[in-house]
Amino acid sequence: MVELLAPAGTLAMVEAAVAGGANAIYVGPRGWSRRRDRYELSDEDVRAAVGIAHGGGAKLRVAFNTNMQSHEIAPMLRKMERFVAWGVDGAIMTDVGAIAEVHRQFPQLTIHASIGANILNNEDVLFYRSIGVSQVVADTKLTLKELASRKEQIPVGIEILIHANKCYTYLGKCWMSPYHRLERGTDPFGKDLFKGSPNRGGLDYRVCLESWELYSGEQMWEKSVALKNDAFFLLEDIPHLIDLGVHCLKVQGREYPVPLVERMVRFYRDLIDVYTAFPKESPFEVGPWRARLAAIQAERDTARSDGTRALLAEARQPVGAFRG
Amino acid sequence: MRQFELNTVIANLRDLRESDLSDYDGVYLGDIYCRIYEANFLEQPGDLKEGLHILRDQGKRAYVTTYAAPRNDFLPGVRRMLEVSAAAGAEAVEVHNLGIVKIAHDEFPELPLHIGGFANVYTAAGVEVLRGFGAVRFTPNYELSLDEINEITAACGAPMELLVHGKMPLGISDYCFLLDYEEKWGVKCPDLCQKELFLKQGDWAMKSVGKGILSGKDVCMLEHMPRLLAEGHRHFRIETVSESPAYRGEVAAVYRAALDRAGAGDGEVDEAWWETVRRHARIGLCNGFYFGRSGMDYAGIRPESIGSLLTISRAES
Repeated sequence: MVELLAPAGTLAMVEAAVAGGANAIYVGPRGWSRRRDRYELSDEDVRAAVGIAHGGGAKLRVAFNTNMQSHEIAPMLRKMERFVAWGVDGAIMTDVGAIAEVHRQFPQLTIHASIGANILNNEDVLFYRSIGVSQVVADTKLTLKELASRKEQIPVGIEILIHANKCYTYLGKCWMSPYHRLERGTDPFGKDLFKGSPNRGGLDYRVCLESWELYSGEQMWEKSVALKNDAFFLLEDIPHLIDLGVHCLKVQGREYPVPLVERMVRFYRDLIDVYTAFPKESPFEVGPWRARLAAIQAERDTARSDGTRALLAEARQPVGAFRG
Repeated sequence: MRQFELNTVIANLRDLRESDLSDYDGVYLGDIYCRIYEANFLEQPGDLKEGLHILRDQGKRAYVTTYAAPRNDFLPGVRRMLEVSAAAGAEAVEVHNLGIVKIAHDEFPELPLHIGGFANVYTAAGVEVLRGFGAVRFTPNYELSLDEINEITAACGAPMELLVHGKMPLGISDYCFLLDYEEKWGVKCPDLCQKELFLKQGDWAMKSVGKGILSGKDVCMLEHMPRLLAEGHRHFRIETVSESPAYRGEVAAVYRAALDRAGAGDGEVDEAWWETVRRHARIGLCNGFYFGRSGMDYAGIRPESIGSLLTISRAES
């Protein structure tokens, strides 16, 4: 049975995801995941999230998927030790050194290679498997053919983003945002923060979505060039992905309102359940699901547009305090 | 052999032949962004072999780079290129993708690996993992500050290669948006991405090379070379894959002179050196992330070197 994985940026969202029918939920410990801190949880809230998830029959994963600094590996391991003792079911990670250390210290813990690891080809998968990864998140640009090849050739869990952004650049291989604005700071617990760098756990200013003018020398060739960065929901592909045998369908969106996330999760829960119970010999029509998804998408689009406008405005603000 | 290595990247045989490489110690051959970049060494085994011979004949360290974001269908070509590199005596191969690291380690163990900037080396622990796969030199992720880079070297002693001048890679895509405009502009691929194309908005600017996005400003560490040497760094890159042979040669001459002087304990920067790097930087200069700031910022004793769209256009008017 394919697993439905839901995001949670707050404890209320953990509860909503469980109520919506998620099989698993992921959260980010504050300062350690690819979202700004307001969508991350304190350690005590991670502990509470484990209780809520397990109480509802779901798993709880923690995302330590920043590209951390060398000296942060030791505190990360201490934090992981607490989380493992509290019963987390897996860790989502990016840095190969951090992955190797976690696998060495917690060999029973399931390690998921994050979307930030940007695993593009089958040899990439074999590399990550060799250092202890057992599930990988597929890049959003991969085709069904590439996923099928991966599934056929490598015994590894495959996770597919079914609601996420498809950036212009490959995720994890982009630092356009901090090039324009990076604000370094430290949280009350001593964790370094990198506001502007999504790879390092800060927010992404989405500068790709600026209306860029294109110049050749002094001559303007285009007044407005879009570097495409679209948020998407998968619908037509869901039956194919289930048939292909992917292990996990993942909804992103810790930054969205709780009721919206719950509706997303419930939509996919219903779709997965209906499809898997559907007789295989009959054609499955996704048409009737389209209208329901369209309403969710409209709400998501509004929330995302508001968010992008705010981020681009924030990106133009001078950085307050530099740290060398 | 010189004490410090200054190297660069060249995408095809034509650029290699037209470039004055006298101030470089090593050259990486290949364009990491696009398979259909004009006569990309990485798609032309014969050219790659000839390029490696040319470099060796000039007494240069002959390196080969590899694609930054290879999908499954790239891999047969990558294997062919690694085979040519090994047979033609490349001194090392630069790798940005961990799948290619594994291929090189398993199938071409005689090839030393230099880990490229897109491989996301952020930690000493990551360096140790990659050393286990045959890596001998590392370009840290461009987002790291000098303090963070030095933290890695202090922990594991790994030799680093630092981008000291040129346009810093900011991202790579599977999609070339320039192709949408071929008909409108009357310029076709592969000529399209060889135009000097800048995305601008206000005082923001990035250079487009099609699938690759680079910094608009040129990273410039000219006045900071004494610090880099004092901190033990010995391998320096001038990023010129999207630049003219004139840029490649003249900027290298400046850095060679600066390295020689800094190596002798003198950190002074000649006025003529500034003039050269400013003339070649269309948008201005920055330090990337080396000082823990936004990548487009400049820190140093020459604030007038910063440049911006505003100051450049004022100067030109």
